[in-house]
Amino acid sequence: MIYLDSNATTRMAPEVLDAIMPYLTDRFGNPSSFHTFGSAVLEEVELARGKLAELLGVSPGEVYFTSGGTESDNTALESGVSWDPSRKGIATTSVEHPAVLEAARYLESRGHALHVARVDGSGVVDLDSLREGVDSGTGIVSVMTANNETGVVMPIAEAAAIAHEAGALFHTDAVQAVGKIPLPVDELGVDMLSLSGHKLHGPKGVGAIYIKKGTPFSPLIYGGHQEHGVRAGTYNVAGIVGLGIAAELARQHMNEETGRVRVLLRMLEEGIVSSCPEAVIAGAEAERLPNTATVLFTSVESEAILTLLDMEGIVVSSGSACSTGSKDPSYILSAMGVPQMQANTAIRFSLSRYTETWEIERVLEVLAPLIMKLRAISPYSR
Amino acid sequence: MWKYSEILMDHFMNPRNAGSIEEPDGHSEVGSPQCGDAMTLDIEVDDSDVITDIKFQTFGCAGAIASASAMTEIAKGRTLDSAMKISNREVAEYLGGMPPEKYHCSVMGHEAMTEAIRDFKEKRDGTAAALEKILAGISGGPEVKVVHIHPSRVLLEIDGDDAPGVCASLSGELQKATGREVEVKVV
Repeated sequence: MIYLDSNATTRMAPEVLDAIMPYLTDRFGNPSSFHTFGSAVLEEVELARGKLAELLGVSPGEVYFTSGGTESDNTALESGVSWDPSRKGIATTSVEHPAVLEAARYLESRGHALHVARVDGSGVVDLDSLREGVDSGTGIVSVMTANNETGVVMPIAEAAAIAHEAGALFHTDAVQAVGKIPLPVDELGVDMLSLSGHKLHGPKGVGAIYIKKGTPFSPLIYGGHQEHGVRAGTYNVAGIVGLGIAAELARQHMNEETGRVRVLLRMLEEGIVSSCPEAVIAGAEAERLPNTATVLFTSVESEAILTLLDMEGIVVSSGSACSTGSKDPSYILSAMGVPQMQANTAIRFSLSRYTETWEIERVLEVLAPLIMKLRAISPYSR
Repeated sequence: MWKYSEILMDHFMNPRNAGSIEEPDGHSEVGSPQCGDAMTLDIEVDDSDVITDIKFQTFGCAGAIASASAMTEIAKGRTLDSAMKISNREVAEYLGGMPPEKYHCSVMGHEAMTEAIRDFKEKRDGTAAALEKILAGISGGPEVKVVHIHPSRVLLEIDGDDAPGVCASLSGELQKATGREVEVKVV
């Protein structure tokens, strides 16, 4: 199998698996227990927190563990509209992950004003459009660090400045960015940040939220004193320890791997564009993550491509699936102005530090004949 | 990934009758606004209203491509009336079953067939109307009896000496009237 779907989830690092095994077996103690058997495990939780804080360049006291990116995003939005009764509004973008967008729409249904900013043709948030919806009634502004589908990196320092000028808090969903690009969280002016373990070669079911010291906060989940009351619930020790190791590995591999992965991505993109007629890269003009490319093949349908690649053992994804008679094209591509027909030709390739050169070579070898085969029977191909 | 049958996968990997026909007797272009799929269908029809050649092009998933391929295989050799009745169920059965979520993919094939036959009949009616008008304008010529009309072919019985000459001049006038090459033959 050639796995190029790392924005969906990543291969767990072997070091992570080794590190978490003891907490799934012998060291099963509850970190909140008084006895040494349990409390010794708390030290491991704190070590993991330190490693994650180091990756983000923040203080360990500002990092709280959650069940994943979705919980972190929901927590940030709920808290962001609850800290000041006169600031109940939310401003976000049209290309956020559903963990932000759906949570924001739910809050809107509960009476919170929602402003959804446009993106330009490259998928970058239009800062003027964002500014239009941020005022003295805005509690929180949420702009993703990088888009899951296109890999487009957002101007979050500028977005944070817009939030702060209006007196609002700023949150960023950095689930796709953490571990892939350096994130000087402190310098960016971020008040809250969400991340997920399984997107950076850590375990599933664990994530974290960074909450800058002094940020007004109210929890989403109540029930215990864990995480200083920010997030109740028994510690997911194995997950947390794994996330810590994953963060440490991400920091160690940052320069070397983003360099090599970026080179592989470029090789893939150039190979596709030169061998497949009409193929274009979504958001090509924008700054993008080093691992992500969404290709619009233009006259062949994405699910047909996915099916053929799947038969070749090549694992990628598309922004939409054709089922039960409805196929909504990717709302992200639609927001960028990509016409529906073309949006239905999108394939996302997402690499990781485990991607090897031969794998990209193999994809390029297989892809062009396969696209030509589908083009030959397409009514749209020129 | 969908659970597709081996037959369906074979039709997806090796679609039968893919492509287009130059100057087809019937042509259609249909699309599914719901899922953005699109299809073109060309048919060639003989003088007994039997589909002798058929070609399709599809923009769609494996299910859509395979069901279009299967539909053309079923339709080939059938009369227009019989081809019109090819149902989704028949296509799905031909393919050894389809995931229920994919039934809608085969609807497009039925639409394409209906439209291609409608196009065929429209062209044929056009040829018939043109022929009737031309024949009504001829006075004192040989007696002409229409045997069969096809969009691009007319079979006649001509009672007179200069049948080849009549055919040639009728053919020219029909081409002018319909914008298509129309062969005129005597039986």
